Amino acid sequence: MQTLLQLFFTALQIGAVYILFALGLTLIFGVLRIVNFAHGQFFTLSALIVSVAVPWFANGGSPVWLAYTLACLCGVIVTSALGALVYEVGFKRVERDMTGSFILSAGFVLMIEGVFTKLFGGIVRPVPPLVDGNIDVFGISVAAQRLVLCGVAAALTLLLTLALGGTRFGKALRAVSIDHQAAMLQGISYRRIGFGGFVAATAIGAVAGALIAPVAAVSPTLGDAYLVKGFIAVVIGGMGSVPGAILGGLFIAFVESFVGFYFDPSVASLAIFVLVMAVLLVRPKGLLGHE
Amino acid sequence: MNERFFRQGLLAVALAALLSVAAGSGYAGNLVIWIAIAAVLASTLRFVLLIGELNFAVAAFFGLGAYASGAATTLWQLPFGLSILTSGVVALLASAAFGYVTLRVKGPYFLLIGFAFTEALRILYTRSEWLGGNSGMVGIFPPAVLGDYFPTFVVAVAGALILLLARIEHSHLGRVFVAIRDNDSVVRSVGIPVHAMKVLCFCIASLVAGVAGALQAFSNNVISPLDFSFMLSTFALAYLKVGGERHALGPVVGAVLLVLLASVAQRFGGSEQIFYGAAIVFGVLFMPDGLTGWLARRRTARAKTALPSPAGEMQ
Repeated sequence: MQTLLQLFFTALQIGAVYILFALGLTLIFGVLRIVNFAHGQFFTLSALIVSVAVPWFANGGSPVWLAYTLACLCGVIVTSALGALVYEVGFKRVERDMTGSFILSAGFVLMIEGVFTKLFGGIVRPVPPLVDGNIDVFGISVAAQRLVLCGVAAALTLLLTLALGGTRFGKALRAVSIDHQAAMLQGISYRRIGFGGFVAATAIGAVAGALIAPVAAVSPTLGDAYLVKGFIAVVIGGMGSVPGAILGGLFIAFVESFVGFYFDPSVASLAIFVLVMAVLLVRPKGLLGHE
Repeated sequence: MNERFFRQGLLAVALAALLSVAAGSGYAGNLVIWIAIAAVLASTLRFVLLIGELNFAVAAFFGLGAYASGAATTLWQLPFGLSILTSGVVALLASAAFGYVTLRVKGPYFLLIGFAFTEALRILYTRSEWLGGNSGMVGIFPPAVLGDYFPTFVVAVAGALILLLARIEHSHLGRVFVAIRDNDSVVRSVGIPVHAMKVLCFCIASLVAGVAGALQAFSNNVISPLDFSFMLSTFALAYLKVGGERHALGPVVGAVLLVLLASVAQRFGGSEQIFYGAAIVFGVLFMPDGLTGWLARRRTARAKTALPSPAGEMQ
């Protein structure tokens, strides 16, 4: 029972980050029909900035929580700016061209990752812990830091889902992703929504990166592993579907923590792959996808 | 035109093979080998694009071929020719199973599942102790008979493979593939099994990629799981995109140009990764049809402007 509960918590923690990552991917695909491989690089950039900025702010004399907040803000703002730039220079010209935009994003992956390696070096950067100590929850001991991160991620996911359902911008995003021509006929500006959607998705990815920085080994290739899992989550849930991304993210996190514990982490990765194949055999458009 | 194309193709391969003798087996020889292998990889990518799918699993089948040759040579002591054949067969069988399941889905789903497959295979290699695990396999040597002529051998095989793909593309089967890309419902309506044809196309491309992987294993002598990540697929994409996908020569042009330029860039301390990335971005944004497409358009433009002038002289 102890172990089960512990595993359940681990799954929720990594699941929250997977969900945030997959949400960005599915938004970009839904709105712009872009399979964006460069999403992992935005995620990495934010984590890298946090890993550099936290010690910098902390040395400047600010308390740990303030250093973290400032660093996260920096990470998200800089990453969103990069996202806006990449969209304006590149993706705007190949929108709704699935193959062309994918190839373009692959080019950005190589370029951005190469630049990161030059700028930050290939070394792993440890980030000092946000909160020290452990907290007892239901009789099991959980690292306080992970609990905080998990809470923030869960709150953000909830907020996002509500925003997508409730706000004008969220409704316009969903309308465009269901049928962009019909949405344009209703007076929704595709250009504006496309730009807004891309930057919003990038910012979500940046938040996920900033959240993972304290608990992960931050290096310029951090995003690659998340890219595979994020895309698998999106494929399982159905591309372009927001509830699908949440479901897929949780699914992968649970398989990873349970199979990873009882067998081996690499067996878990293989199991995830086999399960995706099985899902696609039964439901070629993903669990919650539609034509 | 068809006949002429293949006669010229054969001539070009023979010429390239002869030229590669001059490169010897040093750094220049390695460069020649990598150009040849890169051209084959990009050509297989282009071949699957005939049915309208982007095959991101190309690195996976390339890796399978390399590992099959590695195992055949170092573990089972099979002769050189048989090892390369093993690579082709292993890649073919794996791609038949993988393609049968995954080609039911299209576009982004197929692309992403290929990406996941590449990474899953890499994990499998690192887990397999008999394949050397994390550190990979060593001691995969080509026969001593080939000696300094190994680059020549690679160029000849690569050229033959690319010609084979071009031959199939120009055959009846190739037209069926293109028809599936354009409108698969029409193809189905005349009684052609679309799914089987797609799997066939995928299998041919993967067989060729597997043989290319074997060549890579023999030329490098060492292979490790890290060599076969999705980055390799991205590089192949760069060759294809810069060369242009309209013409069978596109991947070859792209491979020659990018590999040479990257080696120059590396000598000046640049990063190979940034260079390839920039090449892809530039290609997609400014030369959507690649170099061959750009050249073809210039030629037709010149033909148009050239036409009125003889009429002018007549007057």
